Amino acid sequence: MKKLLSVLIVLMLVLGLTVTCVADIAGADDIEDTMTSADGTYELAFITDVGQLKDKSFNQGTWNGVKSYAAEHGLSYKYYQPANGDQATDDDRYDAIKAAVDGGAKVAVCAGYMQGAALTKAADEFKDTMFVFIDGWPLTGADGNIMSNVAPVVFKEEQCGYFAGYALVKEGFEKIGFCGGGGGTNPACCRYGYGFAQGIDAAAAELGKTVDLNYSWLYGATFSASPELQTMVNGWYENGIEVVFACGGPMFDSITAAAAENDCFVVGVDSDQSYDSDTVVTSALKGVGEAAYLAIAKYYDGNWDEIAGTGINLGAAEGATGLPTETWSMQTYTVEEYEDMLAAVIAGELAVDDNYENLSDEALESVNLSIVE
Amino acid sequence: MAFLIRQTLIYAVPLMVVALAGVFAERSGIINLALEGIMIFGAFIGVLFVHLVQKWGWFEAAKEVGNWGAMQLFLLMAMAVSAALGMVFSLLLAFAAINLRADQTIGGTALNLMAPALVLFLIRVINNQNTMQMFKGDSASWFMLKKKMLGITGSNFFIDTFLNKVYLTTYICVLVFIVLSVILYKTRFGLRLRSCGENPHAADSLGINVLKMRYHGVMISGALSGMGGFVYAMTTANCTANGEVAGFGFLALAVMIFGNWKPLNIAGAALLFGLFKCIAASYYSLDINGDGVYLLKEIGLSSNFYRLLPYLITLIVLAFTSKSSRAPKAAGIPYDIGSR
Repeated sequence: MKKLLSVLIVLMLVLGLTVTCVADIAGADDIEDTMTSADGTYELAFITDVGQLKDKSFNQGTWNGVKSYAAEHGLSYKYYQPANGDQATDDDRYDAIKAAVDGGAKVAVCAGYMQGAALTKAADEFKDTMFVFIDGWPLTGADGNIMSNVAPVVFKEEQCGYFAGYALVKEGFEKIGFCGGGGGTNPACCRYGYGFAQGIDAAAAELGKTVDLNYSWLYGATFSASPELQTMVNGWYENGIEVVFACGGPMFDSITAAAAENDCFVVGVDSDQSYDSDTVVTSALKGVGEAAYLAIAKYYDGNWDEIAGTGINLGAAEGATGLPTETWSMQTYTVEEYEDMLAAVIAGELAVDDNYENLSDEALESVNLSIVE
Repeated sequence: MAFLIRQTLIYAVPLMVVALAGVFAERSGIINLALEGIMIFGAFIGVLFVHLVQKWGWFEAAKEVGNWGAMQLFLLMAMAVSAALGMVFSLLLAFAAINLRADQTIGGTALNLMAPALVLFLIRVINNQNTMQMFKGDSASWFMLKKKMLGITGSNFFIDTFLNKVYLTTYICVLVFIVLSVILYKTRFGLRLRSCGENPHAADSLGINVLKMRYHGVMISGALSGMGGFVYAMTTANCTANGEVAGFGFLALAVMIFGNWKPLNIAGAALLFGLFKCIAASYYSLDINGDGVYLLKEIGLSSNFYRLLPYLITLIVLAFTSKSSRAPKAAGIPYDIGSR
């Protein structure tokens, strides 16, 4: 009997281990955002750049990854938002990171490329804290070496942008819009947009038609919703645009309001946004939560060195970019067709160009590109 | 064209209502600089109400069965709540300015500073972030009226402009605006209120309770700004509150001065401003006469120029009209019965 019991326990442990090895962050929205640790310190920290924590997208997705790891491993966790909201400066972000370190953070996940300057300063100062820099790049310390306590995570956004653009045209849309955040300076959003345009071009070429694409960085500089953005997109829809890629966190709010007004559609970004609005036809996914989970796990499993300094670049091959198949709403373009394409990208048969400097009307033969500025 | 008019109304209506709020306060003799602050507060209250009621699931059922009447009722309730709480908030100004005879400019500024701080604090407490959103979905799919809901199948200019893709709040606000303007000019109450802003001692000598009239003025002002704040948040910000209303309260002050403290002029000024604001954001896809020519886009001017326009026009018109503008005489002066 005792033997049986011990075998059972071992089995349970093994099963438990295999379950926790896979980053499963579904349902993380239900984990409390705030918790109180017994000693007042918080091991896992999450720091936003300018956007909101609950942006239903980039920040929320990353935060879910942090929370999931913490909840599964009984760790304390806390989020920090820099002062001054969407006007936050590098100093504000540095203060937020410092607050996280002072709060006892062992691993701090900093989301967003804007953290660069603040994180360079903070990581050099707090060498005992490990930083995960989502959408980041290797940071150089004061001594001229790449800092080993920073692990940048980069995604191949051009892939999921491509999938989304391709799917839309195959589904039958002929007038498409793109609204990006960061004013055209955010590399992630630029890759999304360029991939999106290439996807549209490829599908349009296959179908032998020309697709209109309105491409804009207007009213997105601070990744926030605004009346102007809503009016602008409203004007697009009014003039026949059928679907707009809302590529910038809370900008989604303005764009989905305009879409609902005109009975038109929206493409979500970063996480599956179909839960937030009926207007979402699909979302260009990138696994920010999974990436945060993965990086934290590397630290606790003693494998931090694998990602230290140079970081990781995640794409379809790692399951980090794609479209959400569980909430598939497209009729003409099917999940099977998408999965074939996904397999082609994973196998390297289909490469999507990530150099967004190449975006131009001439390069996209089947797209009538109008850059709205 | 229909699009331009609809969008212009969406920008103009909150401005119009809040400018009228300023008129009511100033006509009673109290300068209400706190319009912005009260709007911010009203927007927060309205959004919070929508958020909570959605969370409790009261109106889920109504949306499921497509009971648009119930949805609109829900919207009216949110408007009423934000107006009521806006009124309560404005009592702070009324108390300071009327009972304590404090400097009204400073009192108003204090409320303007307090409102965003208080609202952001509350949102952080409730929501763990800086923005209060709807619990579910977006304002257009919950509250917007479309012609198919109203059972209209035809299509002409009037239907497309005024009965399709509109918010009920727009019409309520226009109605409130008209009713209150009539009250201000055509009733005994309105006359008394205005007299308190021109010569309170003369009014007092005729047996009018100046302090009471000024309380009325500020409270109406508070209710209108609170409501205007919610209408702004709902129609232009997808029913989110984040401790700001993009300076619409201050714009409303400008519109009030621009409109010379007269309702009709204010409506005109608000529409003008709204029109240019709308052109600035959507000039790229404006096709005024429907012939497929996007004139403003094809001129090729920088979009910055169009974004400058609303403010530029306001400055120019103010420069020409401010000579003849006339503020209520006693506005800004605390009423002291012994100072005759």
